[in-house]
Amino acid sequence: MNTMKWLIKRELWEHKGSLLWVPAIVAALLVLMVAAALMLGHNVTFDGVNGPTTLNEVTIEGRMRVQIVQGMAQMYMVAALPLFLMLGFLVFFYCLGALHDERRDRSLLFWKSLPVSDAMTVLSKALLALAVTPLATIAIAIALSVLVLLMAALSLLVHGTNLFGDLLTAPDFYLTPLRVVALLPVYMLWALPTVGWLLLVSSWARSKVFLWAVGVPLLTGSLLIWFGKLLNLGGNNAWFMEHIVTRILLGVAPGSWFAFSDIHADTMIDEATQRIATADLFAASWATLGSLSLWLGVAAGLAMIAGAVWMRRWREEN
Amino acid sequence: MNAIVTADKVSKYYGKQAALDAISFTIAPGRIVGLIGPNGSGKTTTLKAMLGLTRFDGELTVLGMNPRTQRDALMREVCFIADVAVLPRWLKVRDAIDFVAGVHPRFNRAKAERYLANTKLAPDMKVKAMSKGMIVQLHLALVMAIDARLLVLDEPTLGLDILYRKQFYQDLLEEYFDDDKTIVITTHQIEEVEHILTDLIFIRDGKIALSASMEEIGERYTEVMVEPQFAKAAAALAPMTERTVFGKSVMLFDGASRAQLEKFGELRTPSVADLFVASMKGTAQ
Repeated sequence: MNTMKWLIKRELWEHKGSLLWVPAIVAALLVLMVAAALMLGHNVTFDGVNGPTTLNEVTIEGRMRVQIVQGMAQMYMVAALPLFLMLGFLVFFYCLGALHDERRDRSLLFWKSLPVSDAMTVLSKALLALAVTPLATIAIAIALSVLVLLMAALSLLVHGTNLFGDLLTAPDFYLTPLRVVALLPVYMLWALPTVGWLLLVSSWARSKVFLWAVGVPLLTGSLLIWFGKLLNLGGNNAWFMEHIVTRILLGVAPGSWFAFSDIHADTMIDEATQRIATADLFAASWATLGSLSLWLGVAAGLAMIAGAVWMRRWREEN
Repeated sequence: MNAIVTADKVSKYYGKQAALDAISFTIAPGRIVGLIGPNGSGKTTTLKAMLGLTRFDGELTVLGMNPRTQRDALMREVCFIADVAVLPRWLKVRDAIDFVAGVHPRFNRAKAERYLANTKLAPDMKVKAMSKGMIVQLHLALVMAIDARLLVLDEPTLGLDILYRKQFYQDLLEEYFDDDKTIVITTHQIEEVEHILTDLIFIRDGKIALSASMEEIGERYTEVMVEPQFAKAAAALAPMTERTVFGKSVMLFDGASRAQLEKFGELRTPSVADLFVASMKGTAQ
């Protein structure tokens, strides 16, 4: 347990620049942009029931007010969407380098001179990709979203409407970040095939890791489609592309589960308000755990991580 | 005494090329063994096999353990420096110490810090800002603070200037070595290690060419500065090599009687380097 703590620290020392500072800086830039937009622009636009409503010098009261507060409290984490998009890339490239960099600079021999097993080391890298990095991004995303929400509320206050009291007492204001954190297990399970595949390639490829990791599955998928068409074989030629290639390359993108499962985000839209509620998104995400293809992917991911452990133990550089 | 390392017919093939051809040797505790051979002779492969870093055929026992299956346990008792440039560039001195202290049960932090205090290394310094010599100092500080029973050094001073090289071996003897420890060194700079070695293993084309303690070597090999008038008589005893120094013939004999050789001229114990050159030449293709 203690060893694992140090292995995680080790990864953070090496990657704190890309895994912590990059999202923090992007978040800071987003806050600045929102602040600038709020100060320079005087109009705040919301998508309400009856089309966009522009607020200039208005006081919002009644049903409208309740809806706006509810919408803001439920959806304010949308402000952090760019961070979650970026998370996919961060995890992807972290995994690609995780077991390759140490072989390239031969520091592998230093790590191997210490009493730390290969399984433990690879596991620490998988944990960093699947849990530590997403948690760091979520923490930064929550801070960013709260800031943006408060700035928006402040801007409304300037325009004559004080929503602070309503927002801060809205249960959704507190529940939304918790729901995002509680999506982590769903993310971990769906990201496993991709993390496993990337770690495996990283532990095996002598060079050009990206080309191997992305090129091989894409080429295989394309060839299968092409052969299928050429030979006029029955069945779905694109099956490999859809169920294997996308799963091992795109699984690290948050929300990929809606693309991979039968449960789609757009069915969650509340007809009355035309709005997707985070509570529904959350429930739908957990519902994807019922799909068999998820668990097949999890098994494949674990097998590939085991393969990466074996590679780290026995791979020899000549 | 139980042997620290026992190798029995250890072989390693790269394709059809034998890197190690059924070598057998033992290393006793409390020794400093020089594993010496030309490039590509199988030195590094031997060390890698001992450290569980490569697959091989045959039987190899290190500290009573099998390096193939018990590598993780073995690394608690064994330490190695594989090459000078293996510390990652992003590592800070402070983090390196914290990490090794965190994962190694036999690491003595105070000892590492004491050693580093005598160098120019600062806790905040990163490896990428260090000279090659400083990196080796950091690595040595980490390794020497680990109370390991076997230390394996593969070309530890490669690329260092003479000052760092001398310092390295001096520190190794003074700060690290004692009767409970065993050191195995490979190096090209034989002259610099020969005075600290207690045992020699010459390796050539994946085979052991010579394995003996320094005392045995002193008894077995004799170098004679042959006086010109005895040159013919001396040559008749089949020296391993003959070279000329200041007009005098210097001959190296294997196992000839000292009493007999004394008549030909002044006797010396050959240097490891001369012995190495002689034994490599003996059966050259």
